[in-house]
Amino acid sequence: MDLILPYLATLAIFFFVYNILTWGLNIQFGYAGVLDFTFITFVACGAYFSGVFALGPGQKSTGFEWILGLNWPFPIALVMGALAAGLLGIVIGLIAINRLRSDYMAIVTLATGTVIYGLVSNYTPLFDGFDGLAGLQTPFSQWLNINYNQFTYLWVGFCAVVMVICWFIAQRILNSPLGRTMRAIREDQEAAEAFGKDSVRVRLIAMSMGAVLAGVGGALLMGFIGAFNPAGWTSGETFVVWAALIVGGRGNNWGGVVGSFVVAVLVNEATRYIPPIPGNATLIPTVRNMLIGASLIAVLWLRPEGIIPEARRRFYQLPLLPGRRTPAEGVGSAGS
Amino acid sequence: MAPVPPGAASCGLPSARPNDRQGGILDERPPKRVGSIDQEPGGVNLVIQSVGFGLVTASVLALASVGLTLQFGVTNYINFAYGTYLVLAAYFAMALSTRAHLPFLLAAVLACLAMGVVAVAIAKGVMQHFVSRQAPLFYLLIVTFGLSLIIENLVQAIWGPGFQTYNLAVGSPLNLGPFSLTPTQLIIIGLAVVAMVAIHLMLSRTSLGKAMRAMSDNKDLAQVSGIDTERITTWTWFITGCLAGLAGIALTVTTVSFNPTSADSFLFVIFAAVILGGIGRPYGAMAAAAILGIVTEVSAVVVSSTYKDDIAFVALVVVLLIRPQGLIATRGKA
Repeated sequence: MDLILPYLATLAIFFFVYNILTWGLNIQFGYAGVLDFTFITFVACGAYFSGVFALGPGQKSTGFEWILGLNWPFPIALVMGALAAGLLGIVIGLIAINRLRSDYMAIVTLATGTVIYGLVSNYTPLFDGFDGLAGLQTPFSQWLNINYNQFTYLWVGFCAVVMVICWFIAQRILNSPLGRTMRAIREDQEAAEAFGKDSVRVRLIAMSMGAVLAGVGGALLMGFIGAFNPAGWTSGETFVVWAALIVGGRGNNWGGVVGSFVVAVLVNEATRYIPPIPGNATLIPTVRNMLIGASLIAVLWLRPEGIIPEARRRFYQLPLLPGRRTPAEGVGSAGS
Repeated sequence: MAPVPPGAASCGLPSARPNDRQGGILDERPPKRVGSIDQEPGGVNLVIQSVGFGLVTASVLALASVGLTLQFGVTNYINFAYGTYLVLAAYFAMALSTRAHLPFLLAAVLACLAMGVVAVAIAKGVMQHFVSRQAPLFYLLIVTFGLSLIIENLVQAIWGPGFQTYNLAVGSPLNLGPFSLTPTQLIIIGLAVVAMVAIHLMLSRTSLGKAMRAMSDNKDLAQVSGIDTERITTWTWFITGCLAGLAGIALTVTTVSFNPTSADSFLFVIFAAVILGGIGRPYGAMAAAAILGIVTEVSAVVVSSTYKDDIAFVALVVVLLIRPQGLIATRGKA
């Protein structure tokens, strides 16, 4: 019992965080159709910035160096991390989102992510390069006197609260006129523009809002683990969120919940606790990654809408046309 | 230009960090070449030298980007797994030459052909399903994105995540005018020139090439005119696979050692060349590869080799913002 409960608590934290991440990608891709192939970069941005706001100043002499280092309380650092990710979303969106083919969006996001990854990894004064941030005190420890297991349970609760807030934000956007505009642009950009919708601006908003949720998720991971480095946000991690969204079902947030449970918790996180096979330590991670890639393709092949498809929206029909004849039929039947 | 301090000449030395950007041409430069630079210190010489290396990069880039742009033009969707095709072919060549003990050239040819067959098999087995159902474009993008994850991890599962090398002698550099290049690098440049001429002849003189150009311009019209689009698509994938194989082997020969993620950052240098050249425009891709290859290598000397891929990215962004249709405009492809 001493082992199982903290383990389940850890899985619960990953489940909650991946829910937030999947909803974030859902806002970008599921609502607005933005092909963001570097989603994990926004997660990393949130994690890094929440880290440098909450950590003490880095010291060059000890080999730890990073910007800021303000010792702020973690909840405020989390908000700053989310804002930083949202800003990055606007910056990348300004480059990626234009009225060109959707391939370009995918190429530019992927390329931007690779460039940022290279810069952060190689330029140590920013976030300590490949070594990354480390040594974050467990959040709330300055007010509460708790051991690590108790902190894990506390963090489950904190993540749950943040998740519920994110759920309301995601649902609010989905059911707002803005969300309707996003879906209209996703379905037919030219038609939406013909109705006077500024597709670039709306997609930028979607990109930025999704990035904010990504940043929140990243900050929650940072607070839980206390360290973050480039090995934690390779492009393979983007696939996990994409697979969760596609498998669960895009365009609705319940699909994101199902997908993040199946892909992110059952396949991705739970298998991390399988002991490595002697003599071939990397076999389990590679098989896991292949499974995630294959699940993406299999779902698009067999059930492209995902486990929970987006609900067909019904609009109130004016009861003027009994039988709902088309005008042509109406003309034909008028004479008989 | 101010004299370059001794430390600047070490830009090509293997970097201290094991995880450093793989896939760069300069990252694992053979020590002999660095020595030859040290003998003639001076910024201008170094820049002229880097133009020579730029020709090598341009050759590799031309092979890769012409392969990608041909397929992009004919099938009208981009293949995000293309980078892993390069790596897969390099591993084929490595397995055939160092494990099966075939001569390297034979191993390289067999690996390229095998990559062509694999590319056709993937296209027929996976992509065809979505193309024939006229699935939205993003399905194919996500599918190829997923394929890249599968192939990269498959390579890692079979051959391990560590670095591999071919058992090739590097050869001492030859001084050709202002440049000094190893025989291997000269062979790569020669190979690229031969391949480009062959592509040109295929596109202009054969019925296959003409059909490919027709499909690239307008697929429906090509089909109505009696072109067997399915057969042409198959051949396009085969040629793409072979060119990816050539490029992958050339890339890994110049970087000396490689691992399953070696082509990750090179992939978007390829994308930059394809977009700069105009989608589906092989000649544009050749020109763009020449420009980008030389610019990235010169910038590696002038700025830093760590950030030379970022120069390619800046080029990509500038092109997308100013001239998204590429150097040579293609109607309806932007």
